[in-house]
Amino acid sequence: MNQSLSLPSWMLWLLGLFLLGFVLLAVYSVKRTNGIRRSFFASPYTLWMVLFTIVPCVLIAYYALTDANGAFTLDNFRNFWDSNYSVNQLYTQMGPEYEVLIQRGTVNIGILVYSLWMALLCTIICLVLGYPAAYFMADRNIKIGSILVVLFIIPMWMNFLLRTIAWMTLLEDQGLINTLLKSLGFHSVQLMYNDRAVLLGMVYNFLPFMVFPIYTSLTKMDSKLLEAAQDLGANHLHTFWRVTAPLSLPGVISGITMVFMPSVTTFFIPRILGGGNTMMFGDLIENRFLTEGNWNLGSALSLIMMVLILISLSVLRKADPEGEGGGMI
Amino acid sequence: MVEKEHLIDLQHICKEYDDTAVLTDINLYIRKKEFVTLLGPSGCGKTTTLRIIGGFEYPTSGTLLFEGKDIGALPPYKRKVNTIFQKYALFPHLNVFDNIAFGQKIAKVPTKEINIRVEKMLELVNLRGYGKRSVDQLSGGQQQRVAIARALVNEPQVLLLDEPLGALDLKLRKDMQLELKRMQQALGITFLYVTHDQEEALTMSDTVVVMSDGRILQIGDPKSVYDEPANAFVADFIGESNIMRGMMLQDELVRFSGANFPCVDAGFGENQPVDVVVRPEDIMIVGNDIGQITGIVQSVLFKGVHYEMMIDTGETIFKVHSTVMQAQGSNVGLSIVPYNIHIMKPMLRPVLPSEGEGEEEEAL
Repeated sequence: MNQSLSLPSWMLWLLGLFLLGFVLLAVYSVKRTNGIRRSFFASPYTLWMVLFTIVPCVLIAYYALTDANGAFTLDNFRNFWDSNYSVNQLYTQMGPEYEVLIQRGTVNIGILVYSLWMALLCTIICLVLGYPAAYFMADRNIKIGSILVVLFIIPMWMNFLLRTIAWMTLLEDQGLINTLLKSLGFHSVQLMYNDRAVLLGMVYNFLPFMVFPIYTSLTKMDSKLLEAAQDLGANHLHTFWRVTAPLSLPGVISGITMVFMPSVTTFFIPRILGGGNTMMFGDLIENRFLTEGNWNLGSALSLIMMVLILISLSVLRKADPEGEGGGMI
Repeated sequence: MVEKEHLIDLQHICKEYDDTAVLTDINLYIRKKEFVTLLGPSGCGKTTTLRIIGGFEYPTSGTLLFEGKDIGALPPYKRKVNTIFQKYALFPHLNVFDNIAFGQKIAKVPTKEINIRVEKMLELVNLRGYGKRSVDQLSGGQQQRVAIARALVNEPQVLLLDEPLGALDLKLRKDMQLELKRMQQALGITFLYVTHDQEEALTMSDTVVVMSDGRILQIGDPKSVYDEPANAFVADFIGESNIMRGMMLQDELVRFSGANFPCVDAGFGENQPVDVVVRPEDIMIVGNDIGQITGIVQSVLFKGVHYEMMIDTGETIFKVHSTVMQAQGSNVGLSIVPYNIHIMKPMLRPVLPSEGEGEEEEAL
């Protein structure tokens, strides 16, 4: 099943040539200036980028456009639209709502739409929860603000998987919340294994990525501007909508980017908190690679994902042309 | 108690931050169409006073009246005053036009009316055609003008200006001083101006309020503040001065710097310690045989219009301004006309700002 090193030799040659060229260029730049150019010090990072960003991208494109024998094909993309050919054990344990999709052969698209929808919901919830949090944290008159900052940072010290699993112990049928409910005489509630639990896990994990860019843009704002607005007759509501909100927009856009991107590609959370009833695009890709061992199909899905993210980024960039919000990509 | 023409009254205003007094018993009234300047070194409380009137700070105690009504608890957006902030605080996300129109849009003035008013304001501050520009593209002086227009378009009764010219270069500052004064007179608006620049204060104001350490030291028109400083601090802060400790021997005769000088002040009693202030330009250099005291020229500095000479009489080192230069090391006589000697009650020493500079030490 494992085809990890089935690269054709010409690709390895190409990679080698690339690295050689890079080294030659570095040596040339040192020689020509009789000393080390400052740009030379950037070369480790360039090398890093080439090895771990550009090369993998090229590989993904290569796998996406070839079949298992290395011959050029567009089948992988065709399969994205029509998944009939590979209905297999991958979907067997998924919920009944997938039956229809599987029969229609549009399960991949279904999962993609579901992922985008979940990511959108997650981003909106993060924005609604995160903006006020950032606002209070940035308000110098509120003494608790700095404590809030720390409270938001501490969970980030813990591992992402650990944080998600921790929610299980809270939400399980025999978990903390249900135990508490039962001891108070209520019926236990099914909290896990549904969309809401998945969404909760996503929001919990990605909220700091919304809060901190907004917090940064709010703290960067000159408080004199708020005084100026009030001086010109704006009450607190006016001041917020006409000054604070537009000036924190770069942070909001950065926050949306930083939440939406990982949200779309979320995996693991649906499996833990959704109990495998639902599947997101990240899980699908992971399954193609690791369970099914179909690197070509997995790469095609990854490529589609990347294109979608690039499109959404360029849309967001239009709204923030100066890239003030922390300069995400 | 409140006279009709008083627009703003500050009565016994005190302000404390964490038990540190920033303002102590400020009493001040501002008349309609008056140009009042709060003058003092940084940290003297002048900006705090302005912010209390603007509504950005609330006094710990005391009363703030506007047209006789207590406005001490009103938020800034309900006060009929507008502020020009030190660094202008223009909205970076709005262009020049929208910055100026901000207050008008909040007040829900019809768009047509806003357009007319903003254009008029742009004309007033010599920025016609700049409406569409981003505020970052403007020079410091132009930003300043936008800030003025943004405040004035709302037709405030009082304009509060917090060191508005501090960031401009000397030439531009002089031009803007005249322009602000022109606008104030043309529009008939009350200006309350905060500055640490005594020359600016003297040039522009109808009334100068000298502050130090959260207290008002003197209120008066520029000429009286300059000519009749209430104490040594005011004398030192406004213009340059020789400040000495002296002894009032009797009415119209004071002793300082080791000599007796006739003066025009009376009523201090006999043999009373006093502070003596003499402006550098009021000391005449005469032949060393006819001077009231003699001294040796220590140093000579060319200052443009005049020379500044430090003259050591043995008792005191006098700062003297004269258009005629004396050679360094030469022996000269000094003479002071009686009405140029200003006698004042001695201040508590710690308040003197130039303490330790050595010029006013060891008189008598």
